[in-house]
Amino acid sequence: MSKPALPSLHQALKKSFHSLENNQRIWKSVLVECGPLMVSLENLAEQSRALSNVQISNTPLRDFPELEERLRFKLLKSTDTVLFKLNEKMSSLQSVRDSICNQVSAVFQLYEQNSDSVDLLTLTERSAATPSVSDMLEWLQDAERHYRQQFVRRKTLLQTLRADDLSALEAAPKRWKSIECPSAEDQITDTLCKVSFFIDS
Amino acid sequence: MSVRLLSVDVSDRGSQRCRLGPGLMSSLGLSLGSPLLVCLPGGSCLCTAWPRSDLAEGFLQMDIKCASPNLISHPPTHLNLEPSQLSPVPCPKLRGVKITVVVQSGEFRKHTPSRLIYELVKDMLKGVYVYEKHVINLEDFDTEIRYIIVESINPDSASAGLITSKTAVEIAGIQTVRHYRSLLQGQDTVPLGGLEEVSASLKEMLQLPLLYPGTLSSLGLSCPRGVLLVGPPGVGKTLLVRRVVGEVGASLVVVQGPEVVGSRPGESEEKLRSVFESARSAAEEGPCVLFLDELDSLCPRRIASSAPENRLVAQLLTLMDGMNQSDRFLIIGATNRPDSLDPALRRPGRFDREVIIGAPTMQQRKDILSVLCAKIPVCPSVDMIDLALRTVGYVGADLSALCREATMHAIREYSKGSGEQAVGLKHFQEALKSVRPSCLRSSLGRTDLSPISWEQIGGLEEVKLKLRQSIEWPMRYPEAFVRLGLSRPRGVLLYGPPGCAKTTLVRAAATSSHCAFLSVSGADLYSPFVGDSEKALAQLFRQARACAPCILFLDEIDSLIGSRSNSQTAHGVQTRLLSVLLNEMDGVGLKTLERRGTEKILQVEGADENCKQEEVDCQEVCNKDVMVIAATNRPDCLDSALLRPGRLDHIIYVPPPDQQARLCILKLRTNSMPLGADVCLEELAAKTELYSGADLENLCKEAALLALEEENMEASDIKHTYFLRSLDKMTPSLTSQQILTTGSLVCLSTCLSPRTTSPIQPTSAGSQDAAQTVVKDSSATTEFTDIKMRGGFFQMLRKKKELIPLIGFMAFAATGATSASLYFLLTKPDVILNKTRNPEPWERVDPSKPQKLITINQKWKPVEELELVKSLHK
Repeated sequence: MSKPALPSLHQALKKSFHSLENNQRIWKSVLVECGPLMVSLENLAEQSRALSNVQISNTPLRDFPELEERLRFKLLKSTDTVLFKLNEKMSSLQSVRDSICNQVSAVFQLYEQNSDSVDLLTLTERSAATPSVSDMLEWLQDAERHYRQQFVRRKTLLQTLRADDLSALEAAPKRWKSIECPSAEDQITDTLCKVSFFIDS
Repeated sequence: MSVRLLSVDVSDRGSQRCRLGPGLMSSLGLSLGSPLLVCLPGGSCLCTAWPRSDLAEGFLQMDIKCASPNLISHPPTHLNLEPSQLSPVPCPKLRGVKITVVVQSGEFRKHTPSRLIYELVKDMLKGVYVYEKHVINLEDFDTEIRYIIVESINPDSASAGLITSKTAVEIAGIQTVRHYRSLLQGQDTVPLGGLEEVSASLKEMLQLPLLYPGTLSSLGLSCPRGVLLVGPPGVGKTLLVRRVVGEVGASLVVVQGPEVVGSRPGESEEKLRSVFESARSAAEEGPCVLFLDELDSLCPRRIASSAPENRLVAQLLTLMDGMNQSDRFLIIGATNRPDSLDPALRRPGRFDREVIIGAPTMQQRKDILSVLCAKIPVCPSVDMIDLALRTVGYVGADLSALCREATMHAIREYSKGSGEQAVGLKHFQEALKSVRPSCLRSSLGRTDLSPISWEQIGGLEEVKLKLRQSIEWPMRYPEAFVRLGLSRPRGVLLYGPPGCAKTTLVRAAATSSHCAFLSVSGADLYSPFVGDSEKALAQLFRQARACAPCILFLDEIDSLIGSRSNSQTAHGVQTRLLSVLLNEMDGVGLKTLERRGTEKILQVEGADENCKQEEVDCQEVCNKDVMVIAATNRPDCLDSALLRPGRLDHIIYVPPPDQQARLCILKLRTNSMPLGADVCLEELAAKTELYSGADLENLCKEAALLALEEENMEASDIKHTYFLRSLDKMTPSLTSQQILTTGSLVCLSTCLSPRTTSPIQPTSAGSQDAAQTVVKDSSATTEFTDIKMRGGFFQMLRKKKELIPLIGFMAFAATGATSASLYFLLTKPDVILNKTRNPEPWERVDPSKPQKLITINQKWKPVEELELVKSLHK
């Protein structure tokens, strides 16, 4: 029973790492697309602040009727559009996260089914070409945790933004940037490098 | 084989992993990622088992994601764990879980829709193993949601489980981190004994508005919002507040007095406002207490117009007034100097209630001791009631210091290898020597007296018995006193010729009863400042009352306290001291600040159910006062008001020793002396008529010295001749005249104190005034010389009425003369001249050197006068 379990586990791991690699690429591209949207969000917030600072009745523009309300409406509308677009991006991020989660849980399920037949010694066995199964499972779990954390943080940031809280809107791009955790991202790349021989074998 | 607990790896943060050696994992039957419960001191932690990346054995690193509340706030470090502390737990997938969410800020809690919180929490909890009543740490997500408390799980047959995407999450409530932490702090309750009544009333104030908000608003009732705790230092004011807050589950905002004071103008006020703001926001989540510790330093009495404290006091006043009914928080202030607080603070609407916590009574001390000793391994032989009896005047802080000292003594003894690991009575006795009651610290009359027993005093059996009656009996047999409705005497006067063991008797009485003992002399009381002596005496009584039962000994009371009847100056220090003493001994009542415990009323029924308790109650009822013992050898100089029952009730005559007593004294004194075979103490006793106890002691000393002198340091015993020879050289210190006067005073005391020496007689004679004497029949007062003199004068007036105008004129003239002389006296200031013959200010005068004192007239023309003085000196 021990013999067929390990290869199938290896097979599943290979598949998961492949999908992890793909998903990482998609995640990065989506994040790049989000960048300009966040900048435009900051822009809009700045414009709103400028609008509330100015007294239109003291300027030559006072002849235009209801100028302030109209401008505010326009700004709010475009903010809405930007947020809507960001939400779309979030859903694609969510799909990335979900696919990673599903992959990882599938591998774990497979392991749990076979956990009686494989002893710990075999699981922790390493060689130059193949890392041990326990290491790989751990890496997968780490990657999954990273994406879940990233997603929750970004979601919290976007969902807690309010149109009347201008300073939060202005600070949003900075916070969006700071959420990014390059070291964890690098670690995933590292992991993929470590398992590259194993995937190709 | 134990494993060492190391801190968690950075990469494992938030993963709920527990890194073990693979060997240990397989021995526990764990596979990768299987849940594992780690039991630690103070709680447990649920994690998933993973092999260490270096596969080393003997170490354990765990990420505390799901753990008992205590472990979240105090993560364990430097521990060695036994494998038995690790146990695998079955974790089925959960159908549902009920949680409380703890968020960072109240802002987030207010503005975030609950749907969003639900979504986020669900995302975060996915794949987490949870244990019932544990707290899940979500700090690694770096969002506003910090912790999640697992209230209950479904199916409830399991105590642990895995949350999947299909698990239903129910949010029971949302709290802020601060509120949660204060709840956690409240859980580790502090020991507190003897303050049940005060804490109950505080609890009621906190809980009433929470339990019955509808009733209160329909009654239009506003709850009290401020409480001022007043009491001497160390009685547990701060502890009480923390305890009550912990029990009610309220959050606590503490302001230490000096903490809010800033250096810039306006800074302190700003800090105070922010403190109130934070209390207000904390009150939105539940009951809240704003605790102002050491309030006297924060809000002193406003004095000068521009002191910076004034603004702070004003700010506090306006803040307390500005609290509206919706702010449901309670302000508790604590101080030990209520008199130095600004009076505006102490009115209803600000500090509505003032709770006075006095020094603990005996019952309270017993409670405190039993709470303190609950954690200490105390020998069963140690009786808490006995210990409470001995610790008169100790406050809570003293008692805890006492227990600590006793434990330290026990540890020291144990480390030496002798004795068992328990605290016994002897350790407490040792500790009692080093820990003194703080009530009596810096007290005037605190004395360490060398113990002496009744047996060491020869003769005087009757006096001893009387003293025991009035001092020892109320302490020993309180239930008998209560049964007969007897109260302890307020005071005892011992009088008699000098050298007859009055002071020694008091020492013996103090030794035999475990009271606090204070003794004052004139040196303690007199001071060059007006009013200082009276204040010191009143303070002494206050301190004595704080540690009642207490004996206050006034030796040589005739010189200490004057008499109003025969002193020349009507308003001298002595008269003022007398008035203080009279008031303190039997005044209208006590100051409110001196309240201790609650008044106990004894019930007669139900005595046999708890005999020991009954005894304690009796003890408290019977011995709650200060007893004054005075000694004098001139009782005629005492004021009659002092000698009436209710003040010095028992007036005991200590007679010069008769023959039998002298024999006793001689026997006691010669106990340690090698006496010759021919010494006949009976003969000596017969020959020493009029010798006092002190004389007899001196006689023995002289005889021994004489023996040394005669036999050249080689003397082995004292022969009878030496006694006789030294007796020849000595004269008795008592005279028959003295004994006669005291003898007549026995009659005086017979009339004055009917309770002690004779059957009941009217007590009016002693308190009779001269004017009353005139009206009464003259034969009634023949025995009292002073009254007789004054009475004779008035009688003479009565007989020769034509003398009255003459006397009136004389009195008028005398008054005029006195006032004139007084005027001259007052208008002549003294000037001191220094070496250069210039007037010298008083401050610069060196008191140790003799100075020339010259009196100059008030209308002083400095230059001319000085010239005059100079010429005089030339």
